[in-house]
Amino acid sequence: MRSFFRLQWSGILVGIIAGGIALALSAPAFLSEFNLFVLLRSICVSLLVAYSQMVMLGVGQMNLSVGALGGLVAVVTGGLMDALGVPTLPAIMIGVAAGGAAGFVNGWLTVKTGINGFIVTLATASAFAGINLGITKAVPFYNLPADFVAFGNGRLGLFPLLLIVPLLVTVVLALFFSRAVPGRHMLAVGGNAPAAQLSGVSVPRAIISAHVLSGLLAAVAGILAVAQLGSAQPTIGSDWLVISFAAPIIGGASLAGGAISIVGTLLAVVLIGLIQNAMVLVKVDPYWVQFLLGALILAAVWFNRYRAVRVGES
Amino acid sequence: MDPAPRRTISSFLLRGSAQVGLFLILVVLWAVFANLAPGFLSKFNLNSLLRSVAVDIVVGFAQMVVLATGGMNLSVGAIGVCAVMFSGYLMQVLGLPIPVAIAGTLALGAFLGWLNGFAIVKTGVNSFVVTLASASLFSGGMLILTKAVPLNGLPPEFGAFGKSAVGPAFGSIPAIPSLAVVALAIGLGLYLLFKHSTLGRQILAVGANARAAEMSGIPVDRTIVFVHALSGALAAAAALMLTSRLAAAMPAVAGDDWLLPSFLAPVIGGTALSGGIVSVVGTILGALLVSTIRSGLLVLEIGNFWLPLFLGAFLLAAILIERGRAAYVAREQARRAL
Repeated sequence: MRSFFRLQWSGILVGIIAGGIALALSAPAFLSEFNLFVLLRSICVSLLVAYSQMVMLGVGQMNLSVGALGGLVAVVTGGLMDALGVPTLPAIMIGVAAGGAAGFVNGWLTVKTGINGFIVTLATASAFAGINLGITKAVPFYNLPADFVAFGNGRLGLFPLLLIVPLLVTVVLALFFSRAVPGRHMLAVGGNAPAAQLSGVSVPRAIISAHVLSGLLAAVAGILAVAQLGSAQPTIGSDWLVISFAAPIIGGASLAGGAISIVGTLLAVVLIGLIQNAMVLVKVDPYWVQFLLGALILAAVWFNRYRAVRVGES
Repeated sequence: MDPAPRRTISSFLLRGSAQVGLFLILVVLWAVFANLAPGFLSKFNLNSLLRSVAVDIVVGFAQMVVLATGGMNLSVGAIGVCAVMFSGYLMQVLGLPIPVAIAGTLALGAFLGWLNGFAIVKTGVNSFVVTLASASLFSGGMLILTKAVPLNGLPPEFGAFGKSAVGPAFGSIPAIPSLAVVALAIGLGLYLLFKHSTLGRQILAVGANARAAEMSGIPVDRTIVFVHALSGALAAAAALMLTSRLAAAMPAVAGDDWLLPSFLAPVIGGTALSGGIVSVVGTILGALLVSTIRSGLLVLEIGNFWLPLFLGAFLLAAILIERGRAAYVAREQARRAL
């Protein structure tokens, strides 16, 4: 039991279970099959957005362009399907590749110019948003293939088809960061870049790879958002910034780099989804979601520090 | 030792501080835009450029003072919207006199900033995370309280100030907008703070090396709380200027829109993200550069929609050119020293 509470994400899991029980008692609609489906579907995009930032935190950097990059990939993929009539699968592959390329630009600029990655991605976020608006003129692409949209809305019982993608990504990321050499290199660079360099790890390559991976994840998030909405809205991604940092940080990632928790990030996204769902069920002003998200981040970092101190003492 | 006379001008331009390089880029851009689009130097365009850059400068200052300690304040925009709506509430709903409303709004900004600083110092959590969270808290709280309803019935004098100008106009050179004078006055105050006051030097010492500052007897925690309160007050000042310019208190202004300008102006101007180095003049020039690019591209009618792309690209280029020039200067100096 004590070892359970030493786990970084134990607090979040307790929060999810307590919140779930309280919600089930106060709003019977919570446990309905359709509501659980809506809840699970709402976390699909957030989860990938959170992973996209988590990878950057792992290597000790930030990516402020996660939302702009995801939005750009969303309209590129939607534009390929609608305006150019490209079939679903090639369009998705081109979209994901574009995301990886945009991530590479972020990483290459950070490494080659020596400008802080925070500033580079702040500037490229503006650039990606500009390309997005230039392509769409702020008009969404509506005419998407039926199979693609059906995938975004399909379900098996309470299990949304869309959830397959983030679950698959979770497994791959877990293996990547625990078993694969590039993944271990990224965490080593995030933990102590000079030490990693001296141990023969190429710091620039690790940073560029992390940016590419972050771009790929944001791209998949953008494409899932298109499937879920049924149209490629140019506004996709514009509200991803806070959640992208909130989930990994609540989940126990350190801004200093080197320490990330995939399970913690996953549980944090579920907890945030649960709060959003609760606000709808008990019919509270939607503005409360934003307020509570801020409070939750503060409470979580506070709790994590308190727990770290206690664990250190015992 | 003396360089040849022919080289003096170029060597001066190359050897000057970062601000000189920035000033050069600005001059070149102004020459290019003035040539390509005659409308760029029109009285109307210059006036609107100066009025909007005045707000951007103060937004940049709000970020700059926190960057000085090596921290960040992601809630500049959120404090801005809170201040916008609070000033509207004080003037329109409570009917308070304008000076009282201004003082009250600045106090609210300073208080919200103080909350940031207090939370950062007490929890020991990174300022990025704390202000990311407080930005959500502040703007969420503002929306819950105001229901996002704008306030349009502000006193006419308040809106008139935003349109007013100081000094005579010479031919095509417009009089200086009052808002720009306010921004310059705030800049002067900050310049004196950082250059000539103990507190300002202490802030920079904390930013350069917090441990060393602590050991030299500087109250590090109190300094950090102070810069956050100052940052909040500056964000509120920018909010008041914006409210005066728009002659209405709207909840949709500021917020996320301030994130990019708040960092770009100081960072382009030579303020270090790692702390310890600030430049008031650089921040003013940085804000001018951003506004010049935006205004120039608008006058040239390069598709409105592509604007953010050019802005992002130009800004990276401007930072790169400045880096290249600084590296060249360092090499030249090293060569001459041999």
